[in-house]
Amino acid sequence: MDNFKLRKAEPKDVPDLLRLIKELAKYEEMEDQVKLTEKDLLEDGFGEHPFYHCIVAEQRGELGVNGPMVIGFAMYYFTYDPWIGKLLYLEDFFVMQEYRGFGIGSEILKLLSHTAMKTRCSSMHFIVAEDNKASIEFYKRRGAADLSLEEGWRLFRIDKNCLLKMSLRKEE
Amino acid sequence: MNFKVRIAEREDCKDISRLMMELAVFEKMPEQVKITHTELERDGFSPNPFYECLVAELPEENKTKEGHTIVGYALYFYTYTWQGRSVYMEDLYVMPEFRGKGLGKELMSKVAQVGKEKQCVRLQLSVLDWNTPSLDFYVAKGAKDHTASEGLHLIRFDGQAFDNLAKEAPRD
Repeated sequence: MDNFKLRKAEPKDVPDLLRLIKELAKYEEMEDQVKLTEKDLLEDGFGEHPFYHCIVAEQRGELGVNGPMVIGFAMYYFTYDPWIGKLLYLEDFFVMQEYRGFGIGSEILKLLSHTAMKTRCSSMHFIVAEDNKASIEFYKRRGAADLSLEEGWRLFRIDKNCLLKMSLRKEE
Repeated sequence: MNFKVRIAEREDCKDISRLMMELAVFEKMPEQVKITHTELERDGFSPNPFYECLVAELPEENKTKEGHTIVGYALYFYTYTWQGRSVYMEDLYVMPEFRGKGLGKELMSKVAQVGKEKQCVRLQLSVLDWNTPSLDFYVAKGAKDHTASEGLHLIRFDGQAFDNLAKEAPRD
């Protein structure tokens, strides 16, 4: 399928971004964890200090209500490893089910790595759930390393309530 | 013990680089350190910084026998997830002889404060699975291990795999 194109997301894409984020969350069986609203996405991605960047895959030819349909996306940002420098961190990566197997995912990944190289990143990192075998195979085929298995890294999170307690801690 | 936690300045990068190397040795990965204070200065103190940093500093009269006053640091940046803005603490390190005196807690508490000011909803970090003292330190503050609970694995594309991916990217 070559009647799709990849481009940078624009503010008008925000409703589609939220739709696809929710579809991805459903696929990962975590729908209730999506707290973002269109307002958050607009402010956080297209305001003075963007917290994320986004590429969208748009279908050419078939028109939705407002124009060509957005059928895939990748949300990323830049992080820092003090040992190697800048990294591109891929937070979300999703192509709608009915459009898989046509190379859209591969093209998105290639564009991301090209973006990373252009911005002097030495590596691309992301998280995958170990039971997501299809995705793990997709990445391994392209030479990715599983650092949790190879080096023993475990991802920890501290939520809002505990963050608040920590930030209010009195000095010793 | 008398110390203060403050925002790092450009001049602190040599000290941060020294402490980073100590952390890399502790994590048994010194060969992975590819950058020096030059890159830290460029990447943290330009108009578009890729990280922020706090340092723990002793008063001049209490400096170490090698003459250092900077004895700990926390390096962090902002990320984005379905819950919204997040702060990711990449490095937290205190020199062994200054541990157990509240420096680590204070550094982390200040990172949480900065995160809250930027309306972040969570703090994320990664810990090596054999690093029991650190695992205990974070769990005591309410951190949850999402590698254990959700099977999340950290994946990386670097070196040859990264180059290969970028070479196949479509031209703009």
